[in-house]
Amino acid sequence: MSGKPLIGQRLKAFQESEVERILGACTQCGKCHEVCPMAQYSKTPSQDSRSTVGGVLAVLRGEKGSPEALGWIGVCTRSGVCVPACPENVDPKMMMRLARMTALGGRGLPKQIETKEDRDYFDRVRAFAKLQLTDDELKEWM
Amino acid sequence: MDVSAGANVKASEAVTFWYGCNVLRHGDIIHACLDILRAIGFEPSPVGGPDYCCGTVKDTNQVTAGGMATRTVGKLNSKGNRVVAWCPSCHSHMHDFMEKGNERQFDMTYLVELLHSHRSALRPLLKNPMRMRVMLHQHVGFNDLVPVNRMVPELLAMIPGVEVVEGGYTAPGYMCASFAALPQALDDMHNHTVRAARACGAEALVTTFHQCFREMVGLDAAGAIPVYNYIQLFAQSMGLPYEDEYKAWKKSPEAAKEMIGADRVAKVGIEFYERAVLPELKKRPNLR
Repeated sequence: MSGKPLIGQRLKAFQESEVERILGACTQCGKCHEVCPMAQYSKTPSQDSRSTVGGVLAVLRGEKGSPEALGWIGVCTRSGVCVPACPENVDPKMMMRLARMTALGGRGLPKQIETKEDRDYFDRVRAFAKLQLTDDELKEWM
Repeated sequence: MDVSAGANVKASEAVTFWYGCNVLRHGDIIHACLDILRAIGFEPSPVGGPDYCCGTVKDTNQVTAGGMATRTVGKLNSKGNRVVAWCPSCHSHMHDFMEKGNERQFDMTYLVELLHSHRSALRPLLKNPMRMRVMLHQHVGFNDLVPVNRMVPELLAMIPGVEVVEGGYTAPGYMCASFAALPQALDDMHNHTVRAARACGAEALVTTFHQCFREMVGLDAAGAIPVYNYIQLFAQSMGLPYEDEYKAWKKSPEAAKEMIGADRVAKVGIEFYERAVLPELKKRPNLR
């Protein structure tokens, strides 16, 4: 044992502490959902903001989210309008980000929403770099 | 050209210019940023691409994202300089996650903030007038971290001849690339943007972020409105010689291969070019 912390352990611990903080602070008032400019684009739009937020908290607890909650999580694009709307300083933008990571299976729990993986993402970045930078720049800058 | 001529330049500060990943589509923007930084008194060392990824694209795998964050923070730490970030995703991911899981040992500034705080050095460099009424394409997000929706218009207004007009439309999200999987939201954003620009008499649309430029330049290719990134307007006013090749390719995708040239296409590989590059160049907004 080297005693060296595993890569990513501190990030994982931070995410877990944020989940605990959010679960303890959120009162499910629904203000974050009410002001969200993206909620209208959900595949399962909801008129019940309190219940939708409750579904997001369920995802953070590792439980199955409601279709309305998963639909909202799927359209969050980090507008951040929710942050000043929250009366409890929960930071709903962080709440939604962590819920998205969780629902996508990124935090080790079962996947609940699908996302289209772009298998060419990094290769496309490298391709454009080859089209736009000189060989020396590619070598020194990347 | 000597871009420092006329500027009130003090002793250079070495900085790491962390440009990110997807701006590599726009070599003119990266090169212009470097020239501008040098001209206002910095010695930028550019780094970016997949080996410096912040990990924000890996929401589906936080083990991988954590590894990317640790590697990139370590590399940036080893540079020993202040980091000037170009990409809003990288900048916000550093604040939200990367620095929470790793020991950040450098100061960090977003490029817009840096330019805004060096307006007095930048102003004398903007010599070439550009008669243009422009509207800023803006989002509600990211502005809480860096007030770009105020700062960029103030920067643009320093260019002789540029008039910044307010269109009254602020798109949701923090940048356009997030809308790739949300076609209805993307269509609405394109259409609201064009309507707002026409309503306020804008002759061109200006983006803050490259992710938005990549998306909005489709409006230019479709003939709806000319589109620029703010750095491109600075570069033109300063007389920097960089050509926006991406826009040229986007406007004429069928001729792009010829414009790029056989040597450069060969570096990418013709199969990859046709499968993964050309479709992006051909993509057009769905204007109503």
